[in-house]
Amino acid sequence: MTMSTTTIVSQDWDEVVARTSETIKEPLGTTSADVVLLEPQRGFAAFSTTFRYMFREEWRENIDFAKKRQVVLFPLLLALVTTITTIGLQFLVGDSAAQSSEMDEKSFTWDQLRFALHLPLLMFSLGMGTFAFRGREAISQRDGNKNHLIAAPAIQPLPNSMAHYAFFAKELMYYAMLILTPIILGMAIGILLGQFDNSVSTPLQWSSLPWTWIAMFTTIAQGLAISFLASSLWMRGRPYTIVGPILVVAIGIMAGIGLFDIDFGLWGLAIQREQAVWMVIASLFGCAMVGLVSSVLILDDFEAKVIEHEDMFEPTYARLKFLGKSDVRLLVAKEFVDLRRSGALKKMTVSYSIPLLVLLGMAWLVDFAEAPIPINLLSYAPFLGFFGFNFYSWLTALDSPDFMNGLPLSVPQLIRAKVVVYFIATSWISFLFLVIMAWRLDEWGALPIGLIVMFANSIYIVALTAFLMGLRPNKAIFDGAIMTWFWIGTVLPLLALFLLSFTQGDTEFYQNWLSQVQEDGLDAQSVSFDSEQMRQGFWGMLTVSLGLIGASGLLWKLMDRRWGKSAFDN
Amino acid sequence: MGEERKPLVRAVDMGKRYGDFVALHPLNVEVHSGEFFGVFGPNGAGKSTFIKLLTGQLRPSIGQIEILGIDAEDSPQKLKANIGIVPESESPPSFLTPAEFLQFVARLRGLDNLEQNVEHWLDWFGLQEKRDTMCKDLSKGQRQKVMLASAFIHKPKLLFLDEPFANLDPIYQRKCREWLLDHVKDGGTIFLCSHVLEMAERMCNRMAIINNGKVLAAGTVTGLKENESETLEDVFIRLVGHSIEEAERNNEEGVSNEEE
Repeated sequence: MTMSTTTIVSQDWDEVVARTSETIKEPLGTTSADVVLLEPQRGFAAFSTTFRYMFREEWRENIDFAKKRQVVLFPLLLALVTTITTIGLQFLVGDSAAQSSEMDEKSFTWDQLRFALHLPLLMFSLGMGTFAFRGREAISQRDGNKNHLIAAPAIQPLPNSMAHYAFFAKELMYYAMLILTPIILGMAIGILLGQFDNSVSTPLQWSSLPWTWIAMFTTIAQGLAISFLASSLWMRGRPYTIVGPILVVAIGIMAGIGLFDIDFGLWGLAIQREQAVWMVIASLFGCAMVGLVSSVLILDDFEAKVIEHEDMFEPTYARLKFLGKSDVRLLVAKEFVDLRRSGALKKMTVSYSIPLLVLLGMAWLVDFAEAPIPINLLSYAPFLGFFGFNFYSWLTALDSPDFMNGLPLSVPQLIRAKVVVYFIATSWISFLFLVIMAWRLDEWGALPIGLIVMFANSIYIVALTAFLMGLRPNKAIFDGAIMTWFWIGTVLPLLALFLLSFTQGDTEFYQNWLSQVQEDGLDAQSVSFDSEQMRQGFWGMLTVSLGLIGASGLLWKLMDRRWGKSAFDN
Repeated sequence: MGEERKPLVRAVDMGKRYGDFVALHPLNVEVHSGEFFGVFGPNGAGKSTFIKLLTGQLRPSIGQIEILGIDAEDSPQKLKANIGIVPESESPPSFLTPAEFLQFVARLRGLDNLEQNVEHWLDWFGLQEKRDTMCKDLSKGQRQKVMLASAFIHKPKLLFLDEPFANLDPIYQRKCREWLLDHVKDGGTIFLCSHVLEMAERMCNRMAIINNGKVLAAGTVTGLKENESETLEDVFIRLVGHSIEEAERNNEEGVSNEEE
């Protein structure tokens, strides 16, 4: 039959299924009507175009958040801090040549310092590299007011995998540009100052700078690539969502207890130690390949799944009675529904638990009494709060809050709601971790103060993050002013608590106090009070923790002043 | 028997479901060169799903789609390079300017005369003054113009437009309408989704009305009318439901049929 006009006919689903179940796909005989078809860019050309425009997009977005001055200030500050650290290196490892035979007598060996440089870099990049999640969020939110190039494959001739690979490369270049290069620049200034001024000296040498840059670059590339891979696998669903986290915890524990050489785990560190070109090539090739595999795992899936759900809002709202009848309670309920429906709660809980499980596993297998620094239960407590930054960042990316601009709500209310959600969603994990750790280390007596330190830190760090960065924490990391305050606000109390925890290495003080209380009740007297350092350390930790709770309260109050006039925009 | 004219768009048994929910019942569709084909229906009828399936944005649960000789499932990238898509509510990337976004799109499509094309469409849509403003700072109408320009920039033979004039002012609505009609006269083909029936009367030579993911009727605009006095709105109400209550009842029946 000749069909030369447009036709359209609906059919019955079951009938079609029965008829077509074994049909082989054949060309349907459409034509391009003599029009020469365009051949879209592919391979490197498509990557290059996408990378270029994404790079520009990222720059604009950072400037939009932080203003040009602050974006420039951040690398300058980094360079300044590194210059000071470079000059101060002589006091850490001595001012003799790097591989001095006396180095063992100094506070830190070069190896320890290198490790202390690369491990935080790896942890940072692991936290920042979940690109599959970010891509999915961008695609699901592309119908809103805001859109990003990573969502372009939905209607443009660009594979989703290519867009993600370009995004990975763009992020890596940004970190290299705004973090690594200023650090190296700071080191260079430190060395230069030593050459002009005899009173200033540093054991660092010019020749080590390129190696340090390339080593740090490799570490960041490795962290981003691994995190990218983990998020891509997670997006594939089961079995990866179960096997993946187990594997990560197992590898973390094996690395922690030294079952394999740390060089295998930290490629950048190996490069810095060995300074071998083949290692650089192999490691960067490895990172590129892991990134490529991660990209290939991303499907061209632009579906917004239509799933009917039972009402979750009212039951959640009802369970939050302890928040009173405030608007914050409404927002907390909404955030929890978002968390559950988006599947992010599972994702976040797993990512929050993984480092804790690694620490637990290590505690199981290693006797920390023999460790060079007296790690004890109280040493873990301050760090639990630190994972809150990532969790809060994810919370801010769950949903576009633009629609709230038309509702009688304010940005501080939403920020507070997110802090409350963070606390409710994660505090039970931290609590459980500390209790199991106390049992494992047999430090029950230190548990109450450990819990106080942990809760104080958790509340404080997220309150500080929320206060400084509002609804866009991901964009704040290149804002010099914000990061300076964040650094001062977190590192100083954290370091203080961590160092003070070493005074509590011998927990006899607590144990003794407990046993005395059990025996003598309220008349109990601790016989270990003679340890002045321990007593001061204990009160120091308590004071710092109470100070952090007070500071959190203050930040909570000041939220209105800082964000009260802002529009809802993430 | 005359010589058979090959269609530009052909979908056979194309359907989409999400679990138990059928978003679009299987349908066969053919669209030929020089057609201005409109798909109309109430909110949630399945219009956007229809257009997303044809443009490779969604994979069909069943059936096969071929457009301009390109298999939509196997080669979505090539398909998207050769058609123009204007989604219902998508904005251009927030942190690029209109000029940059058009350059990006033109490069991806491998277009020659890149600058010339970009400048032409910036002029055409009156966006020269805003060429260096980030898209997030444009009005909704201006963003819609950027999206339209990105779909027109390679002058595709086939355009898929989902509520294309939603935020445009009357001047640009008319300008776009005239351009689209000229495009069809020159052999182009337009596939339009909307719930604004006035557009069907002004522009489409053939149309279909869908509801609950099913085609209720299809044909020429005049052919769908039972008599001369019947308006297109009357046709729509006759097919979809006489009243809000009836429309709701129809929707519920649709849902319960799917459940069965």
